[in-house]
Amino acid sequence: MLNVKISNLKLKSPIILASGILGVSFSSMKRVIDAGAGAITTKSIGPIPRKGYKNPSIFEILPGTFINSVGLGNPGIEEFYHEIRKIKEYNFPLIVSIFGDTFDSYLKVALRAEEGGCDAIEINISCPHAKVSSIGINSELTYSLVQKIKKELKIPLFVKLNPNVTDICEIALAAEKGGADAVVAINTIASMVIDINTKRPILSHGSGGLSGKAIKPISIKKVYDLYRILKIPIIGCGGVYDWKDVVEYFLAGASAVAVGTALHKGIDIISKINENLILFLQENEYKSINNIKGLAHSYKTQEVPDFD
Amino acid sequence: MIQIVKIIRVIDECKDVKSILFKLDKSLIPKPGQFIMIWIPGIDEIPMSISDYKKDEYWGITVKIIGECTKALANLEEGDYIGVRGPLGNSFKIPEDKDKKIFLIGGGIGLAPLRFLSSELKKYGYSFKMIIGAKKENELVLVHKPDNIEISYIHYCTDDGSYGQKGFTIEIFKEIISSFSLDELKNTIVYTCGPEIMMLKLSEICIKKDITLYASLERIMRCGCGLCGLCALDPLGLLVCKDGPIFKSEELKKIKDFGKNKRDFSGRKINLN
Repeated sequence: MLNVKISNLKLKSPIILASGILGVSFSSMKRVIDAGAGAITTKSIGPIPRKGYKNPSIFEILPGTFINSVGLGNPGIEEFYHEIRKIKEYNFPLIVSIFGDTFDSYLKVALRAEEGGCDAIEINISCPHAKVSSIGINSELTYSLVQKIKKELKIPLFVKLNPNVTDICEIALAAEKGGADAVVAINTIASMVIDINTKRPILSHGSGGLSGKAIKPISIKKVYDLYRILKIPIIGCGGVYDWKDVVEYFLAGASAVAVGTALHKGIDIISKINENLILFLQENEYKSINNIKGLAHSYKTQEVPDFD
Repeated sequence: MIQIVKIIRVIDECKDVKSILFKLDKSLIPKPGQFIMIWIPGIDEIPMSISDYKKDEYWGITVKIIGECTKALANLEEGDYIGVRGPLGNSFKIPEDKDKKIFLIGGGIGLAPLRFLSSELKKYGYSFKMIIGAKKENELVLVHKPDNIEISYIHYCTDDGSYGQKGFTIEIFKEIISSFSLDELKNTIVYTCGPEIMMLKLSEICIKKDITLYASLERIMRCGCGLCGLCALDPLGLLVCKDGPIFKSEELKKIKDFGKNKRDFSGRKINLN
């Protein structure tokens, strides 16, 4: 009932662990799978170890809404290669999120992760608090990078989209044209918090990316828009806390959803989402969650406002 | 949520150790063993055990100068701002049965969460023994001894014998329980915080003797609330910030990283010390 397919990846639940959340150690990733996730996306892995920004680097600013600027802290692909091997012992769908500082290093990291045995690559071209976002705001760069990696990669390639652009559709089409097998929409939204007492930005980096409840309506709109123009599947990402959020993403056109920030409520929220999704589908007599995909598009929306 | 608050008092505890008191939103009530993330503006943000709490009056942390961040924190003065997130994590489980034989065993700055625990135990009428150890006299963290705790319940030891008994906390503990019957051992609860190697040895003794033990662990963390994954303990994937920082002996037995490994800011696994 909850089975979905993204490219050639068969998932037993449409819930995917979002990149950047708990994706460091095989043991915490296994816990997320045991809780019922269909796949795992790792933290973004780069060519060399990187500590990222100092703390404060993640905190809650409104209930269920977080700001972060981790700055792509990661152990580097060589160290992480062994973690990939360990994760693969448990045999669940693994998506390794990667980034590089040049097109060549993107490719190198992607191929090494593939060699480690992962099932798909997600390229991070959109981290709002790191320089790699410069690719994700440019459709030509996006196209060239995706094409370059896709040419050499045997496993599916996903592209995580940057919402901090004028037209996300233009970038998504470039990714699709370059050969991307799916897009993940959206990465966090560029944002900032200044403390009025000390008069300083609180994040060590100053600004960061917003995730969680507050960004869901923004992400839903992006998924809705993308569904109209893309042929490849969309993984909805942003503010999924319960089964209703998953249903909403599917109605907008998502083929799966990524869950991240909500895990501060505990890993077992995933099993609750799965259970409640099944109840929803049964009550509404849908045989599969795929049957509700894009349904919101069957309703006409008003294009021109009324005048007196 | 982060609360930006003014420090209301700074207390000198011993060499390189200070306690810092501040007020938080009155609706928040901490439990012993929980921690908070402390932001030192312009410097860093670090997890700290809650070492003191007086309802409607103050919260306290006790900091030992170890690096740049703890130095900056210890040098703050009354009226300076800090940011506080929490209380976070689980807490020391206090037994319903007041006849349990309770030990609080702290090494060095590990005494911080035990101090808060001791005042709560005292408040609810539990009797207990404290074993406090340090390398030498001037490093013994008395943590402005809770005024309602009788000194006779406290055993001190130092590695060099400059104060109290010469030797380690574990030796004192072993000595005390050596006369315990099997029933008494089963009826014993140990709460500990300190160098992880000390806690590892202590947990081995407790598991062997069928004593219940709760240990407070510390790891590098960014979020403090189950997102960043840096504090994950292999191979169970338990998170120090969310499933901990307090772990029971049965769990500790299965955690291979206990007493051995932690992750640095990049997520690389490194040796604890």
